Amino acid sequence: MSDYVELMGFGPKGWGLLMVQATLMTIAVSAAAFALGSVLGALVAWARIEGNRLVRLAADVYTTVLRGIPDLLVIYLLYFGGSQALTALAHLLGAKGFVGVNSFAAGAIAVGIISGAYQGEIFRGAFNAIARGELEAARSVGMPRLLLFRRIIVPQALRFAIPGLGNVWQLALKESALISVVGLTEILRQAQVGAGSTRQPFEFFITAAVLYLLLSTFSGMAFQRAEFVAMRGVRRS
Amino acid sequence: MKLRNICAAIAAASLFVAMGASGQAKDWTNIKIATEGAYKPWNFTDASGKLIGFEVDLAEDLCKRMKAKCEIVAQAFDGVIPALNAGKFDAIMAGMNITDKRKEAIAFTEPYGRTPSTFAVLKTNALAKLPDAGKVYSLNPDGLSAAEKSINEIKPLLKGKVIGVQTSTAQANFLEKYFKDVVDIRQYKTTEQHDLDLAAGRVDGVFASISYLKGVVEEPKNKDMMLAGPRYGGGPLGFGVAVGLRKGDPELLAKFDAAVKAAVADGTVRTLSTKWFGFDITPAH
Repeated sequence: MSDYVELMGFGPKGWGLLMVQATLMTIAVSAAAFALGSVLGALVAWARIEGNRLVRLAADVYTTVLRGIPDLLVIYLLYFGGSQALTALAHLLGAKGFVGVNSFAAGAIAVGIISGAYQGEIFRGAFNAIARGELEAARSVGMPRLLLFRRIIVPQALRFAIPGLGNVWQLALKESALISVVGLTEILRQAQVGAGSTRQPFEFFITAAVLYLLLSTFSGMAFQRAEFVAMRGVRRS
Repeated sequence: MKLRNICAAIAAASLFVAMGASGQAKDWTNIKIATEGAYKPWNFTDASGKLIGFEVDLAEDLCKRMKAKCEIVAQAFDGVIPALNAGKFDAIMAGMNITDKRKEAIAFTEPYGRTPSTFAVLKTNALAKLPDAGKVYSLNPDGLSAAEKSINEIKPLLKGKVIGVQTSTAQANFLEKYFKDVVDIRQYKTTEQHDLDLAAGRVDGVFASISYLKGVVEEPKNKDMMLAGPRYGGGPLGFGVAVGLRKGDPELLAKFDAAVKAAVADGTVRTLSTKWFGFDITPAH
């Protein structure tokens, strides 16, 4: 046990600082991905509710494809494929050398567009849960579309969306572990490095598991709190 | 009209990116080398996050010889070959063996390390007394007759014994080829699994790369285990560990090749490998 404390501590032989940095990286990349996913998700929900046939089809294809292919494949395609495509484009224009996609950006975008496919469905469901009468009432008094969106749709849809969004956030947290393949030093990659460098795999993988569990527990509590605040004006029988 | 504007904007943006890229001239004064950072003692990471190990030291030496400024980056082994070909870095030094399969995707220099394979047994087992302990035999054409003589010598001692080996490895092929008729070869998915069966006494010995086994027998929990018998390398047991490069960079390959050859010739590889492995891994060129 004392060996473990030394190994994961903050002393000269301790990996504590590196594990903390990796945890911050996991939080940063998941948060960036989740935020991107929210924007994409809102667009998808809008496309599927209001869009014409073409826009609806595009949104359908996006959610079907991104929810249907393995996340790891999306990451590979974006990171390696993205670099190769950019490089090919640069060569086409007469340049030499390579154009890279930054690993944080590639990871956050990959997890973000996956997250967006799920969030789109959540936002659409949440919008559908708003009583039709409220939208009609707003329109009947001549409320402009933007104001209607801000005052009627957003506060209510978000309230219905919170539990689903909590799920998608947990997914983003766990999917961030897949980004370890592109060399971004988040929790899993750091644990692999530590395990291989010290030949003590269990100590590192258990620590990684505990860190993920802590992150998901605390964010779960935050989402519960958010739900409580959002529902404060709603009576529950 | 609108579409044309968009096209113009995209072209301008790409040009901008392209110009940024064309800034790196190909005179190879700056080289980015990737390693895994988790494969002790080849390359690993210390508790402060610094990359260390045999290949990190060797890379520094090679770069000095090439008069290049090098940056060593850590990359998971999973994606290291596609990342090289996508231009994330220029070279791989990650304990990577030359294999025919990998040669289809990337180019290799001359090897800078070749670790032979050998047996590990329990100290109480009769196999602990195999002859020629620690002696290295090459299965390449030049050393083949001596190696086969040694194999025939230990064959009777291995008769009826159970030997564990990782499946679909060069080591498994070697056992199949030379010991199939006398030894009960038991194949395992990972090397850790045959180690556990060795500790439990279910196999008489295991056969694996010495760079791996040496670390295993030195673990305090494995104090009943030891290396035994002669060591075999070359031929079906692999061409050695080398620098991996893109096929499209012949100038860089030539530079690395010269540097590796020089480091092997003047004993640098011997010094560094003795420091990190406890024995010499210099390949014969």
